[in-house]
Amino acid sequence: MKDRREFLIKLGIGCGAAAVCTQAGASLRSLVPNVSYDPPTTVKLGAPNDFPQGMKFLPDERLFIFREGFTFHAVSAVCTHLGCTVRAEALSQPETKTVGGQPLKLTHQFSCPCHGSRYHGDGTNYAGPAPRPLAWYRLSIASDDGQLVADLAEPVDHTFRLTIA
Amino acid sequence: MANEEEIVPTEAPGVHKRRFWSFRPQSDRQAGDAIVANFILHWFPAKALKDSLSWNYSMWLGTISTALLGLLIVSGLPLMFLHIPSVERAYASVKDIEYVVTFGSWLRSVHRLSAHLMVAAVFLHLVRVFLTGAYKNGVGRGQRREWNWVIGVGMLLVTLFLSFTGYLLPWDQLAYWAITVGTNIASSVPVIGERVRELLLGGRVIDQPTLIRFYALHIVVLPGLLGVLFAYHMWRIRKDGGLARADRVAAQKRTEVPTVKTKTYTLLGIARGTSPNLRAYSVEPSDVSVNSIPDLTRRICIVMMGTIAVIAALAAVVRSPLEEPANPLVTPNPAKAPWYFLWLQELVTDTTIKIGGFTINGAFVGGVLLPGLLVGVLVLWPWLDKSPASATGTWLPRSRRRQNAVFLIICALVLVLTFIGTFCRGPYWHLFWPWQPWPQLPTRI
Repeated sequence: MKDRREFLIKLGIGCGAAAVCTQAGASLRSLVPNVSYDPPTTVKLGAPNDFPQGMKFLPDERLFIFREGFTFHAVSAVCTHLGCTVRAEALSQPETKTVGGQPLKLTHQFSCPCHGSRYHGDGTNYAGPAPRPLAWYRLSIASDDGQLVADLAEPVDHTFRLTIA
Repeated sequence: MANEEEIVPTEAPGVHKRRFWSFRPQSDRQAGDAIVANFILHWFPAKALKDSLSWNYSMWLGTISTALLGLLIVSGLPLMFLHIPSVERAYASVKDIEYVVTFGSWLRSVHRLSAHLMVAAVFLHLVRVFLTGAYKNGVGRGQRREWNWVIGVGMLLVTLFLSFTGYLLPWDQLAYWAITVGTNIASSVPVIGERVRELLLGGRVIDQPTLIRFYALHIVVLPGLLGVLFAYHMWRIRKDGGLARADRVAAQKRTEVPTVKTKTYTLLGIARGTSPNLRAYSVEPSDVSVNSIPDLTRRICIVMMGTIAVIAALAAVVRSPLEEPANPLVTPNPAKAPWYFLWLQELVTDTTIKIGGFTINGAFVGGVLLPGLLVGVLVLWPWLDKSPASATGTWLPRSRRRQNAVFLIICALVLVLTFIGTFCRGPYWHLFWPWQPWPQLPTRI
């Protein structure tokens, strides 16, 4: 008799707790978004020939586009430490460095205003708390209108170059 | 009809005959009744120890924190009617509060100054409790003061999170980049980090879902949580036998005079019959204790009204800053958190660790591991502290000298880092002397 009473009390408490937890879980789950309204990660940047020789900063995409002749590459402006936008400083003397087996003319270096991370022109971190080099993103040419396209969801290694004919 | 008229109400227990309660009791009995029958004061003891009321012992920092919390709620209400939690309109609405609304800038300043001072007051309260060993159990059997310490650490964290969510609401540059840095610290946690960030932001980028989430947290969730914790915190103080100071008084009294068997103070208020029906030790003989009304309530009034006066006057002089509207395209240089988070900003700057080819982001070490460790040690400290019970409720006792020193050194380190972050960091987070001018840099690229 006593066992049954205790069992039923525990069963009641257990059921109540399970019900409350499930409903709390459901409420929390509702806060995890199912649909993303984020801006697309593949963005058209404009006609390649509109880009100047050297560097152009695109604030909306937080991206540096480098052009040397007809060769392009894109370096992210998002600091790898805590995500602030790094600023470019022009070097007084451009220097050439072998990056990914190919020579690359470095015209700038980058500094982060939030915690003082510093990067070489190819995105390699050399001072401050940044744990990784800046990301490089894949560039391509849009098949419909020939614009330069950056894929912000696809980091590439530092050998990547886009050369247009 | 005639029968009904004959019924005369008799004296009944539990019926309070006046509409309100007495603030000017004429006897001990009335004084006890004035506490117990008082809707606002019933959670106070009817009698308070003189030593517990001392200015020097507690410095009334908890009461100051409570007064500031009250001010925050009261000043937050009108601001709630004026602020529009939308990314398009939040900045303009705060600008209106600052420049258009009559007394708006004063209200905002009251809210902001109270928030800043509350962080300081709650922190100092924690320091006081540590240095007086007030989380320790003294002479009373069944005391659980350590749990109230844990609740208190929780309330400090809620206070910090409240202020964090609060300074996001104007949606200016400070807000935008604080969310960027804050949520990236969350995402530096291995495995779950990215999902935590997404849950906080309501997406993968900072936008309207982010603002409304932090708004709901700031307006409802966190104040509610703080209210519940506050109520439990106060209840526990009573149930642990009052301030830790009381244990000292009790310990001294027991050695000096034989214990007097008498009724407990709570029964003074409750027992309305002819005689009290329970006997217990009293730690509040009349030579060390006073009636809570008026002695306790007078001091509470002085502290609370003093706090209100100071804030109200300061708010008339100190204006609240408002940075440029949130601009995802430009990170301010330097981008600084509010002063009480600058020690954390220093930590995440200085703690990126390289072991061989392996790098651990300072965001994780300085933003998660170290603060987590600090909070963990704080929470566990009452169980690690092996000092004698006699070190309870007294400032800087000899037996706790070493741990007090270590605690003060950690506090000093936090303050030094805060100082460096506030006064010695300039553009690109370079070190400057406080008096050294910063180089002029272009604000835009």
